[in-house]
Parts: sequence; structure tokens; C-alpha cells
Amino acid sequence: MPLADILNKDIIDLEVKGNTKDEVLHYMADVLCANGYINDTDVFVKDIYEREAEGPTGMGAGISIPHGKSLSVLRNGIMIGKTENPIRWESSMSDDGFQDSHLIFLFCVSADEEFAKNHMMLLSELAGKLGNDVRVTRLSQASSKEEIMDLILCEDDELGEVDELLNEEEIVDLDIDF
Amino acid sequence: MNIVAITACTAGIAHTYIVAEKLQKAAEELGHNCKVETQGSAGVENELTAEEIANADVVIYAHDIAIRGAERFKGKKVVDVPIGTAMKQPKSLISTIEKKLAAK
Repeated sequence: MPLADILNKDIIDLEVKGNTKDEVLHYMADVLCANGYINDTDVFVKDIYEREAEGPTGMGAGISIPHGKSLSVLRNGIMIGKTENPIRWESSMSDDGFQDSHLIFLFCVSADEEFAKNHMMLLSELAGKLGNDVRVTRLSQASSKEEIMDLILCEDDELGEVDELLNEEEIVDLDIDF
Repeated sequence: MNIVAITACTAGIAHTYIVAEKLQKAAEELGHNCKVETQGSAGVENELTAEEIANADVVIYAHDIAIRGAERFKGKKVVDVPIGTAMKQPKSLISTIEKKLAAK
């Protein structure tokens, strides 16, 4: 199954309403429910929060990747939401532990491992694509569904160049021992 | 340097794979060879071979759950960091390892 099969325009929403993380997660869960991806928004959101409690899902560049496994999931996929407002989100990238997010990749994965297995290969491939800072920068600035889908599906060498890289890392010495 | 790494995060859905890519890219950019094994919901992928492990100058564990098959790295130099460190500062991680290895 190709990566494109896990993307679905119906669950890309460029006008996600809400002022808080909670409002945004509920809004997005409602879209997943309306499209037959989950059968219970409350259970799904609760399972997302369970994962949220284990560590931040803000990945810098205004992007968050909430995810979790839920028995409410009927169909594995990924909902992509561009929020109308900046949403304060726990972040692994900033020193104060928070970032403002405007692009949310909400992974919708069944807690039934056998059921999720095939799709997990695709979702993991998709997640890996978010390890490229040029792609992340361009996604953060994307304005249409087609552009978002193209940026996810294209190869690294097709990404082109960006004026300024979001998430640029300053190389410092870390306190590690081995 | 020849680097091998393992990534493993709690849910095994996102960070395992993002960090694998970040480490790979950071290593290449800094002029090193790197292979990353992912231990996530999709199972073990890109599994390290005995030869790759034998040839590695350093092993990176970027994880917040237990690494599977840690016995494979007995006697190797292992750098053990939370996955968040490799998420935020992959290049710093590799550059610090390079400096520390050179000083040993």
C-alpha cells in the first residue's frame, strides 16, 4: 500500500476552530468521527491525553504531533489541521517547555495491534518524513491541502530550498557521558 | 565515525521515527556514517547487523522505554540519552560524541 493511501483530503482541515489545545483536539476528533475514523470522540480524546501525559508532542516550527492508540479507532489514519488561532502546546523543542502551534498532525491509530500493524508501517514512514527540517519548514508555511499532501509525499530531494529554516539547531556541547 | 543508533519512544508511533530520521540526517551532515534501528509500533525496522555493530565507533540509544536486544552492544561505547534530547539537539549530540571520542 502506498503512502498516499493513508492521506485523505476529507480529514485535512485548514480552518480548525478553537483557542486551546483541548478545544482543538475535540474539534479534530469530531471531524474524525464524522468521517468514520473513530466511534467515540470522548474515548479518543482521553486516549490522546494519556499519551500527552507521557511527554510533549510539540516538535517546533509551529507543529504538534499528538498521537495515541485508542480502541475507539475504526480506521487508521492521520488528521491534519491548520488552526485559526495559535495554540499553546507542550514542546520538546523550547526551553520553557511550550510552543505556539498552528499545524496539528493528529495520529489516529487503533489500540488493536494486529489491526494497526499494516497501517503502522505507513504511519511510521509518514512520521519519519517529519524528521526533515526543510519539509517541516515548508509544511509550517503551507496554505492548501494539495500543498500539504505534496510535501508529505515528495522525496527529500524534491523539497527545494527555503529562505530560512525553522527549527534551526545551534550546535552546542551537551553534558553526556559514556 | 561509524554510528549505529536505536530509537524507541513510549507510544512507538511518532518520535521513534522522527528522531531516527533526524539522527540520520545530522550524522550525514556532519560527515559520519549512520544507521538507525527503530523499535516502535511497526516492530523492529532497519535492524542492525552484527557486522554493523562490530564496525561501529559508538552506539546511541535515544529512548524513553527499554531497548530490545541491548546484549548485542556488550563492550561497545554506548551513549544513552532520552529521546527528547535527540529530538531537540541531534547535531549537538553527534558533535559532542565526536569530541569526546577524540579526547579518549
